[in-house]
Amino acid sequence: MSVTTKDLGSQLAEIKGAEVIKSFCYTCPWQCPTEVFVRDGRIVYQKGNPESPNNIGSRCAKGMASWYVSQDPDRLTTPLLRTNPKGERGEFKQISWDEAFQFIANKLKLIADKWGPEAVALTCHHDPNTVFYHHLLKDLYGSPNMYAHTSGCEQDRRSACLTLFGHVFPMHDFANSKFVMLWGMNMLGANQGLWESRALIEAQAKGCRLVVVDPNFTETAQKADEWVPIRPGTDGAMALAMCRVIIDEKLYDEAFVNQYCEGFNGFRDHLHDKGYTPEWAEEICGIEAATITRLAREFATTKPAMSAIFKGSGYYTNGHDAGRACYILDAICGEVDKPGNIHLKDWAPLGAPVEIPADAMRQPEKDPLHIAMGYALAPDLPNSRLPDAVINGDPYPVKGLFVHATNPVMSDPNRDRVMEMFKHLELAVACELYLSETALECDIVLPETSFHEQAEIRQGMWLGPEVVLCQPVVDRVGDSKPPYEIVKGIAEKMGWGEHFPYEKWEDWGEVMMKDVPMSVDELKEKGFWADEVKYNRVPGGLPTPSGKVEIYSTDYVNAGFNAYPEFTERSVIPDEEFPLQITHSKFSMHCNIVTQNNPYLMEICGENWVEINSVDAAKYGIQDDTYVTVESPKDKIRILAKVVEGLVPGCVSIRHGHGFGHWAMGSVAKGKGAHSNNLMDTHTNPVTGANCYNECKVRVRPAN
Amino acid sequence: MQHGFYFDHKRCVKCHACEIACKTWNEVEIGPRWREVVKIETGTFPEVQAMNVSMACMHCGDAPCRNACPVTAITKRADDGIVIVDQNKCIGCGFCAWACPFNAPQLTATAGKMEKCNFCQTPGKERPLDLPRACEEICPTGAIQSGSMAKLANQGRKTAAERLRGANMRGFPSLMLDAHQQFGPGSSD
Repeated sequence: MSVTTKDLGSQLAEIKGAEVIKSFCYTCPWQCPTEVFVRDGRIVYQKGNPESPNNIGSRCAKGMASWYVSQDPDRLTTPLLRTNPKGERGEFKQISWDEAFQFIANKLKLIADKWGPEAVALTCHHDPNTVFYHHLLKDLYGSPNMYAHTSGCEQDRRSACLTLFGHVFPMHDFANSKFVMLWGMNMLGANQGLWESRALIEAQAKGCRLVVVDPNFTETAQKADEWVPIRPGTDGAMALAMCRVIIDEKLYDEAFVNQYCEGFNGFRDHLHDKGYTPEWAEEICGIEAATITRLAREFATTKPAMSAIFKGSGYYTNGHDAGRACYILDAICGEVDKPGNIHLKDWAPLGAPVEIPADAMRQPEKDPLHIAMGYALAPDLPNSRLPDAVINGDPYPVKGLFVHATNPVMSDPNRDRVMEMFKHLELAVACELYLSETALECDIVLPETSFHEQAEIRQGMWLGPEVVLCQPVVDRVGDSKPPYEIVKGIAEKMGWGEHFPYEKWEDWGEVMMKDVPMSVDELKEKGFWADEVKYNRVPGGLPTPSGKVEIYSTDYVNAGFNAYPEFTERSVIPDEEFPLQITHSKFSMHCNIVTQNNPYLMEICGENWVEINSVDAAKYGIQDDTYVTVESPKDKIRILAKVVEGLVPGCVSIRHGHGFGHWAMGSVAKGKGAHSNNLMDTHTNPVTGANCYNECKVRVRPAN
Repeated sequence: MQHGFYFDHKRCVKCHACEIACKTWNEVEIGPRWREVVKIETGTFPEVQAMNVSMACMHCGDAPCRNACPVTAITKRADDGIVIVDQNKCIGCGFCAWACPFNAPQLTATAGKMEKCNFCQTPGKERPLDLPRACEEICPTGAIQSGSMAKLANQGRKTAAERLRGANMRGFPSLMLDAHQQFGPGSSD
């Protein structure tokens, strides 16, 4: 009686009386391929595409509930133009698309004439079809300042991996690993890359050892063989001490470091010169020297192994070197890009959707902002420095900002400063689904279609090279438009309409797919294209200055930084007045700032909270499940408290503090929980430009 | 043949996908939660342990909810042992919710009637028993399985499964927990 999974979708669709359309989910950036069930123009069910290696037929809560966004009555339906002065809570009038395009085109021309095209920047997080905005604002208009969200995310990881391995986004080959050491990475709790969650769980079932280094007893720590409850912001010290043990005890991979690593001997001397020993690290990290030594030996002698970080090791002014140190563990043990290691993924040969002739391209005259700001190694804009450019013209004036599928008023640190920034913009454009907190600060708001209503072809986020397709499955909400049509509309007003000739998405889809061995028609049938996973790129040479794994970092030296990772203390240390360090954690059923208007997800988790260890709770009179005031030198919030054991004493963990406490967005989201991003002042990682959300000290007391 | 669920807490990452899948497939309104993932934490820092359990109706062998119902709205299907509520008969008294040891029966906000996991047998949306339940189909880590208790008895560790072949025992919940596994981190199996 068994059925193959291949038949499941059509069998289920028959029961539901629905048509099945292959697509992907863009609730989070992991883009799981899906089968969407549509009946009478509405999404009635969604399942994972069973043939896709990304999710093997499964979905997460966020994705399963995402049908709601295509029917949400709180969505924007028409373009809106501000009618009151900036700085006040935005009031808007409805305008036509033609008026909106003309307004934006006029402002773009004005800014280019007065300050140059470099004075326009774009920021996005979820970047559905952002490539079209790039064609308009970068290629044709001439601004080099096309940025994304990474400084609020894992900027330190990307920077570490770029300088060490020449790869910006290594994946994790958990399935083949025997020892996984995760630093500040809650893979299972975020539950975004579903194949990664599955692979880690399956690897454990086969005997892989999992060690989680984190101040927080996260969902991943919960599954670990060993939780290492490290003091916040000290991962680098522990990783350097582990390197020292591995090198002193000659447990490293001698052949690998001699052949494929730059600067191993110098690194060894550096560890000795600086006195980085387990005993030294014990004092800093709050982890016994014997534990550090034991873990170093286990890591070096269990093969294959993987040491990897995500956001948690960053968010501090020392996060860049913490990242490097954690990945040098992989390098000295020869654990790079082999089965079971961090994986230097190949990308699919996906092209750009719009082909702009060279003579129509405008070359920027100024350096991109991050270079001009002095962050040569930043993989993305140092977001926290953008207000300096807008408000003070430092390093040069920014007068126009496109905000696409992101909400910096909520997500960036130091909310006061971000909101101040919007007052100084000549043109602030929000391309949004909702009238978000950021949209309220903008001059003009453009209603975009959601991913259920538009097409997109993207790089897949699986281990191997992959292309994934999102198709429009339902009608657009109101008068919303997909990015291609918005960009085309503005381009026409600028006199560049000829570059956007496509009538339907399949036309630009064919252009993108021309080097991928699959037609758009086949892609629509299958939902994705994937090629085999390849390993072992190191012997063939890496795209680093030396072609080797750069333990000695040429990039760092050229940019005026330290060649080898060092440990320095973070910038903000708790004191008598503000005795607790802030850390941050997330929820599995919410993604950033996009899911809080979904009543199905809010039913599971409708409010965020702060976690505090029972020892600290007793000290400050905090009861479980009561409201507290969390106060920093800068601001205070009222938030629900949970008294827990799974958190290092001396710190608090604010869960999803950037995604709750909405005062706009929609009727479901509004007023639920507390927004915590105004507690921290602006701290920017000096090398990578990462937002240092955890550089903040607080005190907690029961709320009235 | 009694049907039930098999749940492996070691695989569950508390992502709640099963809850939304259940809700979407069976078109359940906001309020009643036919399935819910709960986390149990024990220990003192730094020796902390936690376990996630995805809970729904256990389709008990001798269902206390059925026995408590004053209007015989709750029945146990003869062929597969699935416990079903007849919404037309239900008077919304809530006795079943008091009787159930697992908090499975949920009163709807709008209709004031009881509803709960019906093993994806919602009228008009019945999943054949040889297909996976919605919760099972969607689970990213393969923590939930469904089927006849005989089939489930062959899943995972045979010894424990055989020991828990409880559906054939009167009154025993039709849920298999992977009980051989130790609780929380530090276990070596």
